[in-house]
Amino acid sequence: MDTILSIPFLVFMPMVVSLIIISPFMISNEIIVRRFAKGIFSFHFLYTLVMLAFFNTDNPYLSQISFWGMDWIQSLGIKFAFKIDAISIILTVLTSFIFLIASISSKFVIRKNHKFYYSMLFILESAILGIFTANDMFLFFLFWELEMIPAYFLIGGDYGQRGEERTKAKNSAMKFILFTFLGSMFMLLGILLLHHYNFVANGILTATFSDITSTSIPLKIQLFISVCLLIGFGVKLPIVPLHTWLPDAHTNAVTPVSMILSGVLLKTGAYGIFRFNYKTLPDAFAKIALVLVILALINIIYIAFVTYAQKDIKRIVAYSSISNMGLILLGIAACESIALKASIFHMVAHGLVTCGLFMIVGIVYLRYKTRDIDVLSGVATFMPRLFGFAVLIVLASIGVPLFAPFVSEILTIVGVMNSELSIIVRLAAVLSLPLLILSSCYMLKFLHKSFYGEVTTDEKINDITVHEFVVLASILAGLFIFGLFPNVLLGIIGG
Amino acid sequence: MINDIFNILLPQVSLGFFIILQFVLGMVLSPRLYKLARIISIVGISISIVFLSTVQVEPQYFGFRNSIMSDSYTLLFDFLILLCGFFVALLTKNLIKSQKSNAHTINGILLSAIFGAMSVISANDFLTLFVSMEVLGFSSYFLIACAKGYHSKEASFKYLITSAVSTGVFLFGVSYLYGVTGSLNFTEIYSYITEQDTSILYSTASIMIVLGLVSKLAVFPFANWIADVYKGCETSILAFLSTIPKLATFGILCRLLVFPLSNSFELTFVIALSSILTAFWANTYAIREKNVKVILACSAAANSSYIFLTAGLVSVYNLSTVIFYLICYTIMNIGAFAFLNVYGDSNKMNVSDFAGYFHKNHGLAGAYAISILALAGIPITSGFIAKIYLFTAIVNSGFIFVPFLLALLLLMVVALFYYLKILLPLFDEKDKNTNIEKLKPSFSQKFVLITSAIITIILGCYPEIIIELCRFIAYNI
Repeated sequence: MDTILSIPFLVFMPMVVSLIIISPFMISNEIIVRRFAKGIFSFHFLYTLVMLAFFNTDNPYLSQISFWGMDWIQSLGIKFAFKIDAISIILTVLTSFIFLIASISSKFVIRKNHKFYYSMLFILESAILGIFTANDMFLFFLFWELEMIPAYFLIGGDYGQRGEERTKAKNSAMKFILFTFLGSMFMLLGILLLHHYNFVANGILTATFSDITSTSIPLKIQLFISVCLLIGFGVKLPIVPLHTWLPDAHTNAVTPVSMILSGVLLKTGAYGIFRFNYKTLPDAFAKIALVLVILALINIIYIAFVTYAQKDIKRIVAYSSISNMGLILLGIAACESIALKASIFHMVAHGLVTCGLFMIVGIVYLRYKTRDIDVLSGVATFMPRLFGFAVLIVLASIGVPLFAPFVSEILTIVGVMNSELSIIVRLAAVLSLPLLILSSCYMLKFLHKSFYGEVTTDEKINDITVHEFVVLASILAGLFIFGLFPNVLLGIIGG
Repeated sequence: MINDIFNILLPQVSLGFFIILQFVLGMVLSPRLYKLARIISIVGISISIVFLSTVQVEPQYFGFRNSIMSDSYTLLFDFLILLCGFFVALLTKNLIKSQKSNAHTINGILLSAIFGAMSVISANDFLTLFVSMEVLGFSSYFLIACAKGYHSKEASFKYLITSAVSTGVFLFGVSYLYGVTGSLNFTEIYSYITEQDTSILYSTASIMIVLGLVSKLAVFPFANWIADVYKGCETSILAFLSTIPKLATFGILCRLLVFPLSNSFELTFVIALSSILTAFWANTYAIREKNVKVILACSAAANSSYIFLTAGLVSVYNLSTVIFYLICYTIMNIGAFAFLNVYGDSNKMNVSDFAGYFHKNHGLAGAYAISILALAGIPITSGFIAKIYLFTAIVNSGFIFVPFLLALLLLMVVALFYYLKILLPLFDEKDKNTNIEKLKPSFSQKFVLITSAIITIILGCYPEIIIELCRFIAYNI
């Protein structure tokens, strides 16, 4: 199997495709470029599914497909190494799926610069897959930095938006890149220190995750490194004082890009905390876990109130994802196996839900040219099919049984209850329950105000097209499957 | 013995021959043959590189009563200087076209600047160092002033004044050092300071020597010339000014810090403070600036300060990172200025003047973007590897320098902002008012730009060979 399934192919194929698309040899016909991109994305998704199918602890080929490495910079002990474990493979499949549906939903939104747009999309996919599969700190950091540039151009690029939107998009893209770069500079400091002190303590010059034994590093330095790394990931996740880039970036980007940003990009922050702080620096993580729990609660509750006050429906969705990321952070910070499983589960569930919500908002905005919750009214009259999807996805997002988020929310709370940290942490579980209530407040407000009510416009509004139907239906199918059979996912995580 | 001296000096001697040839031809030939000047320069530099490759690497060699030396370190820096000189000579096409009657003189002065820089690197004596510094310095003043118009003269004069003051400081330090040790020779001073305890006078002398030298790098306290000088300078001369004096100064500075000035703890502190102040000044100065040349000037000063800090925390490992950073930095900087050279010569080179160039020419705009992103330290360019490698050196020097490193890292966020400010207009809509439609990049400009971009990418993807080379050279100094 090692000849067909290889991690470098998985990670670098999108990058090669992006070079093909941007090169002058590629025809600049819009339809051909889009179909080519969709084809490649579908192929890539199937490829990751095949990889998932072979990813099985009983499989003798496991070691062949899940490791790949070679020396890169020997004098620093940096390896060009990839490794796929349970969490990586799940996030890889999620990434590949979300890029596929984002490319399908790009049809009506992207009106200009197709070649540039799709090539940036492919580079972004490569970078994110690199983050999820890198087995070396510096390689991880390389992909982490690399992802900023295409993300910048996707948020701030010119894809045929109107004048004012264009300026807003550019400004929020600049805000995004400066915040992310600030975080990644702290992260670089943490990585450099970890690399150096691991060498001092253990005498091995290495940057491979599994070769770093941080326990022999002095605890104060471990704490310093851990906090530096946490600031880096906290910008991406985002943790509350560092979150201000997110609503702007998600609101002003075009719909497919918003889907990718909140569906995948935020998960890189959670994955980083898991990979670095939780796995590599366990001693320091145990010390700061309590602070993280408190930060997570602030994320969940404070942002839920902020969300309720929003007037722009896209901003509601953007803020709600910060609130949900708080739940993921809580799951990791509880240092407990069920809670950890639940938070990985919630990464997938929230990725699907938020994509669906952004898709719905995008569809409404495309037809009504406004996102103001006070102006929108009676959407359900014209678009009954969209209304059906909206109801189901909103119900999923507020954690109603049968849908995937329900499973992860319940499991997180159970896990946090079981945690051995202290009584305060267990109290946190009780305190995080309001999320379920508050999220239903703002989500139902969104549904109620925009879909119900009097019809205000005289124009004929068309219901969703086939493309949009396919995207929404596939998201909904995913939510149902993981909601009804959570063991499909939990079984893989358990390994 | 004679053969050895001749062999080692052959690159410089051949360059000297071409300098004289240029000046003689400038007197004899008619201005119509101005194109010949550039070709002669390129041929001269190429011949010099060929001679350089024949020089023996192995033993350290001292000549002229220990006043010059040659080892693998000087050879590497000589090669880098000649390579930059080669690129700069290629870029002078527009300059000599506007100055037909002076074409040979300008190229001759460029060659003499390269000659001076090579002599700086091989100096083993403060007197030799001073004389070669002045050769490099005076050539630079003339080169800056050679463009048409008032601004270039103003820039040249400012540079002259700052350099004169800093040279005074440098010489004052040298005189103190002579008073303490009784010698001007690096080797003798080094053996003196290793045998005897040094006084505060020695530290004062070291600080003055270093601060006097680094005015060429626009490091605090001699930093504020850089914005005005870069603004008034012709772009091909900027490609020269931002690389060759920098290579020469860092080349000799590292040797000084390793040998004759290595025994002063106060010096390390002063260097750290000075570099942090420079980084802060340069990066914040560029935020509100709109002129591309001034922004790149600030970037040059900021990059100098990163290298300066690492070079100041002397160790062999740090030296190897400094050399690697210099190699990467030189190449990407040449690329950035080559693109400005395509744009032509103007004192007001606004960031919005390049609006929409990406839609006109994907290749050149992409190559320029690679150079600028490399300066900002974005992955798969050499800038990323170089920055990481440089910062590992600072971390290795001790936990006490981590706050300095953190300050530099935060300032790099500011730096990213102004690099993006230069870069992003390229991808915008085409602006009707700009004259990008009229631009006709020549073959040599394309060659320099694309070559530097390709080297930048290759060094970013596969740096191992060059890093090994840098380590070899650093361990053999």
